Amino acid sequence: MQGFRRYVIRRLMLLVFVIWCILTIMFGLFQLLPGDPTSIFIDSNFSPDMIERQKDLWGLNDPIWLQYLRYIRNMALFDFGQSFFQIAPVSEIMADKVKNTALMIVPALVISIVLGTIIGAIAGWRRGSKFEQSTVATSLFLHSAPSFFVGILVLMVFSYQLRWLPPGGMVSLGGPDGFWEMIVARDYWVHLILPGLVLVSREITGPILLLRSSMLEVKGSDFLDILRAKGLPERQIVTHATRNALLPLVTYIAVMTGLLFQGQVLLEIIFAWPGIGRELVQALNDLDYPVAQAALYVMALVTLALNFIADLLYGVIDPRVTYE
Amino acid sequence: MTDIRAVRTDLSRIRRRGPLARLGEAVLRNLANLKVLLRYPSAMVGLALMTVFIFVAVFAPLIAPYGPFEVTYTAERAVIRLSAPTTNNLFGTTNQGMDVFSQLVWGSRVALMVGLLSALGSVLLGTLIGLFSGYFGGWIDEVLMRATDVAFGIPFLPFAMVVISIAQPSLGLVILLVIFFLWRTTARVIRSQVLSLKTRPFVWAAKAAGAGHMKILFLHIAPNVLPLSFLYVAIGVQTGVMLEAALSFLGFGDPHVQSWGIMLNAAFQAGAMRTAWWWVLPPGLALSAFVLSVFMITRAYEELLNPRLRSI
Repeated sequence: MQGFRRYVIRRLMLLVFVIWCILTIMFGLFQLLPGDPTSIFIDSNFSPDMIERQKDLWGLNDPIWLQYLRYIRNMALFDFGQSFFQIAPVSEIMADKVKNTALMIVPALVISIVLGTIIGAIAGWRRGSKFEQSTVATSLFLHSAPSFFVGILVLMVFSYQLRWLPPGGMVSLGGPDGFWEMIVARDYWVHLILPGLVLVSREITGPILLLRSSMLEVKGSDFLDILRAKGLPERQIVTHATRNALLPLVTYIAVMTGLLFQGQVLLEIIFAWPGIGRELVQALNDLDYPVAQAALYVMALVTLALNFIADLLYGVIDPRVTYE
Repeated sequence: MTDIRAVRTDLSRIRRRGPLARLGEAVLRNLANLKVLLRYPSAMVGLALMTVFIFVAVFAPLIAPYGPFEVTYTAERAVIRLSAPTTNNLFGTTNQGMDVFSQLVWGSRVALMVGLLSALGSVLLGTLIGLFSGYFGGWIDEVLMRATDVAFGIPFLPFAMVVISIAQPSLGLVILLVIFFLWRTTARVIRSQVLSLKTRPFVWAAKAAGAGHMKILFLHIAPNVLPLSFLYVAIGVQTGVMLEAALSFLGFGDPHVQSWGIMLNAAFQAGAMRTAWWWVLPPGLALSAFVLSVFMITRAYEELLNPRLRSI
């Protein structure tokens, strides 16, 4: 346990270091902006005097190291300032958008993981069968297909041609509002079908391929022979094998959720889903830099946090892992 | 006796060749080994598709009837807007009257260029970092691997969008960003390979024979990681093209070139998904076919390197 504690502390320090590096890179990036925020935000009717006062108010006339320290402190405290265009603190906007993104990702991930695990386990168990071969081929195909084009295709077919499903958005205009009303509303789930399907079609391939290969490894283990010798029915033996094959999936899930943001931005644009990715694109188009900066930071944080949890979980779940 | 003399002259010939030539030879030998890929049917399909893409890209000026931004007109000098496929405009026209087929053909050049440059750049960078990090260990390893950790913590697409909107969108910048995104995986994989290679007897032997660090690293270890680097070149081509398409689709592409992603962006913005399928499908299908063809080659090569992946 001593080793584990030392490992956790080391990982935590690394996490803080990486976050600090990313913040510094971002600070540098936003310093490179042509002009300063006042030139974007302030009306040309402002007198030079008023601009100067505004700059003082925002601390833009302070030396750069002071701006840097203030920046790091604000970011650490999730104080992202005011949006240039929306009348709300950026942290509130972020909380709302992260919630919306989660409303798309979480259901899709749960389905992908549960279904993917079952399909992958069966495929691995029946090595060499038609089922296994077609599963692997389909998964590899889906895994490498550009998901945003898949998104465009299903949108064209199911929304525009067949008119079965709404062409985008999270709820209809004047639809349910607030978290709890929404997730019990049929309207939300109907809107989720298409983007959810595209997301599942890509994300399910990971657990399938992973479970299949780790099942192949577990399949040769001695403990399965002992179970067989005990006279357990095949069904139960599969269950035992699957539980052991599940281990690598734990780390994979976190990595997968972290990487999700890549494709998430695209899906949110295609399906007009008001999540954090779409917010970032809009903020960049509007030159609303406080929002853009916060969105990038939040996405990086989520990625890092999930990776961190995965690293720790792996040791907790598999007692064979040591930290020396 | 003659045999020994032959061996001796052979040895001296090897010695006379410069280190760069020897490393180059290792690269060529690995390329020649790719012949084995022809035994995989999926790799054959992938290679055939890729040959088509390369052919189209090379002969684009001969194949494309119009320029990438050229507006097409009817005989009465009226712009042909949003025309469905005709014999004149094989895949129809865009809302600005540009020929979709021609754009598609020109786009293959961009795809190949982005794919190759970003893959080669990232693999070169990643391999070098992996080699140095794994071989020297110590603080060099620590610094390089922490840099890799930072690179892994940055979500690529959002980050690239921010950088592009701060700078000016250009194809060069997109390629550079993709390189900075892709090197990290190569670096980690190559490093772990080097960690295992450097404990092998042939490295001790080279050391005992008096070889310096650079010589051991580039003449004895590097040739052994080349097959892995090649794999990452292939993966890099695929990812690079996908990322360029994704960035362009989101509106962060170079407006001066006509890539498949930019075509999709224009079609999406114009609402062509409702009205003009001929404008949406060609770039999307071309992109998918390109990515799949690289993937089929990569997969066969990967199975070659790692027999555990083989399904039968």
